[in-house]
Amino acid sequence: MTFDQALNEQLARAHWTRREFLARVAAFGAAAALTQLLVACGQSGSSPSSVPATTAPTPGGTTAAVATPEITAAPTPVPTPEKELYVLNWDGYIGEHTIDKFQEKYGITVTYDNFVDEAGQISKLTSDGKGGGYDISYPASTWMAQFVSDGLVRQIDHSLIPNLKNLSPAWQSPGYDPNNQYSVPNFWWTTGYAWNPKKIKGDLTSWAELWNPAYKGRIYMLDDVRECFAAAAFQLGLSPNTTSTTDLDAILAKLEEQKPLLRDYTTDHVAGFTGGDVDITHCWSGDWVQMIYTDGSENTKYVIPSEGSIKGNDVMIIPSGAPHPIAAHLWIDFNLDGQISADNTNYIGYMGPNDAALPLIDTYITEDPRLNPPAEELAKLIELQYLQPADLDQYTQRWLALKA
Amino acid sequence: MTTAVAPSDEGRRRGLGAAILVLPGVVWLGVFFLFPLALIAVISLGAVDPSSHITLANPNLDNYGNALRTEYLPAFGRSIYYSVMTTVLSLGIGYPVAYWISRYGGRRKILLLILVMLPFWTSYLIRTYAWMIILRDNGVVNSLLLQLGFISEPLRLLNTDLSVILGMTYGFLPFAILPLYVSIDRLDHSLVQAGRDLYASGRGAFLHVTLPLTMPGLIAAGLLTFIPALGDYVTPDVLGGAQTNTIANIVQTIFLSGRDWPAGSALGFLLMAVTIAGTLLALRSLRSEVIGT
Amino acid sequence: MTGKPSRWLSAFAALTYAFLFAPIVILIIFSFNDSRRTFVWQGFTVDWYPALFHNREVLHALGVTMQVAVVAVIGSTILGSLLGLGLARLRFRGSGAVQTLLLLPIITPEIIMGISLLVFFTQLFGLNGSIAQIALAHVTFCISYVAITVRARAANLDPKLEEAARDLGASAWGAFRHVTLPLLTPGIAAGAMLAFALSFDDLVVTSFNTGVGSTTLPINIYSAIRFGVTPQINAISTIIVAVVSIALLVAWRLGAFRNAARAAVAEADAT
Repeated sequence: MTFDQALNEQLARAHWTRREFLARVAAFGAAAALTQLLVACGQSGSSPSSVPATTAPTPGGTTAAVATPEITAAPTPVPTPEKELYVLNWDGYIGEHTIDKFQEKYGITVTYDNFVDEAGQISKLTSDGKGGGYDISYPASTWMAQFVSDGLVRQIDHSLIPNLKNLSPAWQSPGYDPNNQYSVPNFWWTTGYAWNPKKIKGDLTSWAELWNPAYKGRIYMLDDVRECFAAAAFQLGLSPNTTSTTDLDAILAKLEEQKPLLRDYTTDHVAGFTGGDVDITHCWSGDWVQMIYTDGSENTKYVIPSEGSIKGNDVMIIPSGAPHPIAAHLWIDFNLDGQISADNTNYIGYMGPNDAALPLIDTYITEDPRLNPPAEELAKLIELQYLQPADLDQYTQRWLALKA
Repeated sequence: MTTAVAPSDEGRRRGLGAAILVLPGVVWLGVFFLFPLALIAVISLGAVDPSSHITLANPNLDNYGNALRTEYLPAFGRSIYYSVMTTVLSLGIGYPVAYWISRYGGRRKILLLILVMLPFWTSYLIRTYAWMIILRDNGVVNSLLLQLGFISEPLRLLNTDLSVILGMTYGFLPFAILPLYVSIDRLDHSLVQAGRDLYASGRGAFLHVTLPLTMPGLIAAGLLTFIPALGDYVTPDVLGGAQTNTIANIVQTIFLSGRDWPAGSALGFLLMAVTIAGTLLALRSLRSEVIGT
Repeated sequence: MTGKPSRWLSAFAALTYAFLFAPIVILIIFSFNDSRRTFVWQGFTVDWYPALFHNREVLHALGVTMQVAVVAVIGSTILGSLLGLGLARLRFRGSGAVQTLLLLPIITPEIIMGISLLVFFTQLFGLNGSIAQIALAHVTFCISYVAITVRARAANLDPKLEEAARDLGASAWGAFRHVTLPLLTPGIAAGAMLAFALSFDDLVVTSFNTGVGSTTLPINIYSAIRFGVTPQINAISTIIVAVVSIALLVAWRLGAFRNAARAAVAEADAT
């Protein structure tokens, strides 16, 4: 009997009140473990900053008595999930049917809200300092340092997410959040550039191609300060996380040199590139998959430049103010399921950190070294670090001067 | 604010009338507009502390000093250039059309006005994206010109000054046509007729009678175009390119990528000051050029 | 004045209408495009229309946008019309200040207005954004447009008309109801239409006031753009244009605007 089946059984009894449920659980002797969770769950409405108990309930056969007799080996006692779940994410940044399948499976109604851009997402999550009323959101992992120190994120209760075992060993304890205490990785990507081989011949490898005057007016850069600075930094042999004023001045000079060659700094590069407005564009690995979906693989090539590049990932978090934390844990667990995770990747094109999903992902993604680089290649890529406000300001001031 | 001008019965009644008519709107704007704006004015004196929170520990005008950096001048220039061009084009296109509807629309006047507004009942973004389809290198205009043999290489139309001005004009034209229509439609035609007799030319009558009489509509239309154009950042963002950022785009970037609300607020207030100055200047030059005072 | 417009003027007007409708025609055509992306024509399909009815996010966003627009139009039309009428009809101390107050929301950059409302609602009231909050914000920025439109209309009404009605024995309310209000209707209707268009389209102010379950259509569309505009978005826009066009056309044929037109004529005669 799997965790999921046990949960379905619980849901079949959703008409139980919490008190009745608790009474039954207590009667069968599993109360000690469950009470903590239920109390945490009950409190979350009134005092949302409370962090749930992290001690995992003792697994054992005791809960079997709670559910129907055929549940003989439920590994974990399961608290009653809430009936609703509020998700804040990009429109379409998830498998096409993931939400429906989740609703069907758990009988939880998902409210899936969008934001205009990453800044809109962060301002929503930080507006009240505890997540703006959402249960789940997907920020870039770079935000974790600030979110944890601000108390914006809730600790993840690993006992409620058995599918964490599906995470590949490399993702069991990422640098931005050791042991995935406050977050669970979702998609990861590399940064590089795509070009149209019909317009630009040869195998491009260097960041310098985005500075090539031969392509004047046919180049896009991402409208992203950190990514643009990184592209220049790699050419200059500097760190993309530099905070040195002289480094940043050199980077700005490099970008000033490039600006007259550019058609646009944009986030709409996939449509613009496939529509034929440019021949070469700075982009993320998942964008390239979108380009192939649109235009066929013979019309686009992608490279992770030889000077080095960026890797990044986003994470699922449960904000400290989440009104439905149990359902949020279920959502995370559901998205770590091998099949669901593979569906998400196949739809969006970004690789997930999920080993169980690997055999189910389209082979042209998993077998392409640019979309799924070997571990030794990945190890060479650099993650963008969170910048202190004063350092970020150094970037912003130069970025504004560049754009004005 | 709502006390009567004269202590007569009439005056008192008017005071009461003004209170009933004006007070609800004024109170609403006071609570939901002026008061929040004052909060932002206070924030513009603050700074961002090392933990990324806004602090007002040491209120000062540094943000305003920074906002006046010479690096921002090109963006200020572009904002003004785009807004002026958009206003001129909107009035230039809107006036004849409003005139045509008013004079020759007959029983279909209302329908014609509705048609002007109709495109604006769909999302602005969708319409802007449609413009991208029209203007891009493989787009409708370029394909047509190539087919007809007028050009051999696609013209770069998208991501240019031209596409930004076109997009803004498209976006603000109806807001010019409506007030122009209202003022042209109430024009007394016997006056225009008298003007024709007097000046013996359609042009003379237009310049000396029609235009001055419809000046309030022109001014309203101009303001309804110029002011929002100056603050528009979506059009330069979507239809513009690497070289078309306006000061509104800069404000946006400070707030969003820089996450520096105090600095963004300061530059935003500076933009408001420029808008007010520009509005006054435009009003004055319009009056002196057209009315000749 | 001749009864017929010059050919040049008519041609110019026709071209302007073509300009206004060009993007609409494009979006209608591309709503039948057999491709997940909009930009390249891949062939004809009607699949996006039935698909729309399974797209919960888009349908929900449309519902939210309509709710907000209805509240914004009603609220701003009432408050703005009263303001416009008051400013046009009555001289009172501070009317200059009120006129300036009306211009300020139009001058204020949208992002400043959005952030000021975000600070106001979250810091003072602990509110996290909702349909009601978006509607409040929309009423706020629509009031000025309605008030300015109605004032322009009211300013050139002849007060003698209302006085004449009173001399003929009408009550103050009766004179207003039967003389002034019908004459004001075109201005009020124009203001309400403006308010609807503004509310329906707003992205910036809205984005700072959304909360759980209140994603509007512009936000959904902008968010979707990152992964390409799907023809579904074009399909829903086509349906909106069709519904609005039909509704307005039917209303026009049934003479719903006749009173407004008659009022306009009456007013033109009176001045």
